[in-house]
Amino acid sequence: MRKKNYAAVVEDRRKIFLNFKESILEMSDFNHLNKSRSSGRGPEYVWEYEYYDDEEPVSFEGLKAHRYSVVIGFWVGLAVFVIFMFFVLTLLTKTGAPHQENLEACDKHPGLTSCVVDISHDQGSGSKVCSHSLMEESHSIFRCSINEEEQCEPVAGHQGYQGRLSVRTSSDVQGEPMGLRKDREANFLQHFNIPNFVNSEHSSVLGDDDLLLCEQPIIMDSETRCNSKLDIIS
Amino acid sequence: KMSKTETPNFFYANETDCREVQIPNEIFFTIAMVSLGENLLVVVAVIRNKNLHSPMYCFICSLALFNTISSLSKTWENIMLVFTNTGHLNSRGDSVLKVDDVMDSLLCMSFIGSIFSFLAIAVDRYVTIFHALRYHNIMTMKRAKAILSAIWAFCGCTGVVMVVFFHNVAIMMCFIILFVFALVLILFLYVHMFLLARHHARKIASLPGSTKHHNLRGALTLTILFGVFIACWSPFFLHLLIIMVCPQNPYCECYRSLFQIHVILLMSHAVIDPAIYAFRSAELRSTFRKMFLYTWAQCVCV
Repeated sequence: MRKKNYAAVVEDRRKIFLNFKESILEMSDFNHLNKSRSSGRGPEYVWEYEYYDDEEPVSFEGLKAHRYSVVIGFWVGLAVFVIFMFFVLTLLTKTGAPHQENLEACDKHPGLTSCVVDISHDQGSGSKVCSHSLMEESHSIFRCSINEEEQCEPVAGHQGYQGRLSVRTSSDVQGEPMGLRKDREANFLQHFNIPNFVNSEHSSVLGDDDLLLCEQPIIMDSETRCNSKLDIIS
Repeated sequence: KMSKTETPNFFYANETDCREVQIPNEIFFTIAMVSLGENLLVVVAVIRNKNLHSPMYCFICSLALFNTISSLSKTWENIMLVFTNTGHLNSRGDSVLKVDDVMDSLLCMSFIGSIFSFLAIAVDRYVTIFHALRYHNIMTMKRAKAILSAIWAFCGCTGVVMVVFFHNVAIMMCFIILFVFALVLILFLYVHMFLLARHHARKIASLPGSTKHHNLRGALTLTILFGVFIACWSPFFLHLLIIMVCPQNPYCECYRSLFQIHVILLMSHAVIDPAIYAFRSAELRSTFRKMFLYTWAQCVCV
């Protein structure tokens, strides 16, 4: 009998879960008198079920805690989890990263991550030299990853980031005058800003979009937009 | 089962029972309409603008389509309910039950489809960041279309299977496990992307001349994205779990009495989604502006 009741309960739940409004409808005044109300599947179960009205399956007697404790516990747990996640992410933003992380990234990720060079040793020198060396180092690393790029089909009009990279690195950077180099370096830093979490002056082209993931590098029709190609997360 | 608890309420009038929280139909209608409008707008904008025919926007468009389907089926169910309430429709008729089943399977399909679309968007962003140079090779339009067809086919089948075999506990467990798996994977992908962004931010901050300030925006955006997803989806899934795990428990009963609120949360996620994913893009916003101006100009001229 218990088993049949449970089967009836489960079967009933199916209809009520998916047709919850119909179940509310059933509770309207003229419906509850209709004892032969059934889901249309196994009416005998519903009959027997209803004969056991005295056996109230859900008894609210003797509740130790508040009856909505599951609800409250769930929402409090959820809020705590989200706030915890926020604090962890904020903490990650503030603390420094070990430099070993960068070295490993160079091995494992042949993409742009390998081009993040540790320039801490350059910080003593002047700004020109510093960014200069960053450019050169990054370009030298780019050369190895450019080989991957050569297989890319150049999509006209959708070149975006990759097109620029291949153009930039295929040319001979060494013999350029200083002014051009500084200009390139400014452009390069804009391009290099992969996910734009840092709201620096270079990369605020898509001012209101600089949250997390923004646009892809490929959808570009204007020059200025191209500069923030790597603002991928909006 | 809710009818079961309602009956004792009616007969025994026990104050400690958890009555089901009712939400008026108007609220359901409003939310469904707003969600329908927003998502339809996104779909139309992505289709009309040639610039937006890229994998990333295809995934966003697919998400908007799934949300549209869920809003439509919810609206249809509401309309049918109104008709049943006013007596024009027999709620126990065979055809009504069949239509009900179709709507339920559409709803299930759109829910699963939303989850898979989120996953696809997260994977796309992940590939964009970590394999940026080879992105165009990895995520071609052909592959994106293949992925989307697979998602739609799978969701269609799953929706039908879920409605037909709803009483089977294993199917429901699969559904819940799928949800949890998708959640964990999305969290992992986004946190990994965030770690890389933090890494780059530090590199850039260490350059001379660049501004040094702690930017919390990334953390905030990620928290909002994930927090909204969890807050809207997990009450409903916990409801499914509770139906299977503790049907007789009074505490679980009180949780299940909030079913309509959980469905409202699920629908409101379809309203918030475009704001989080689609409207962030300047290109999409400019497409909207052009569409509105064009329609407005047409109305004015006529």
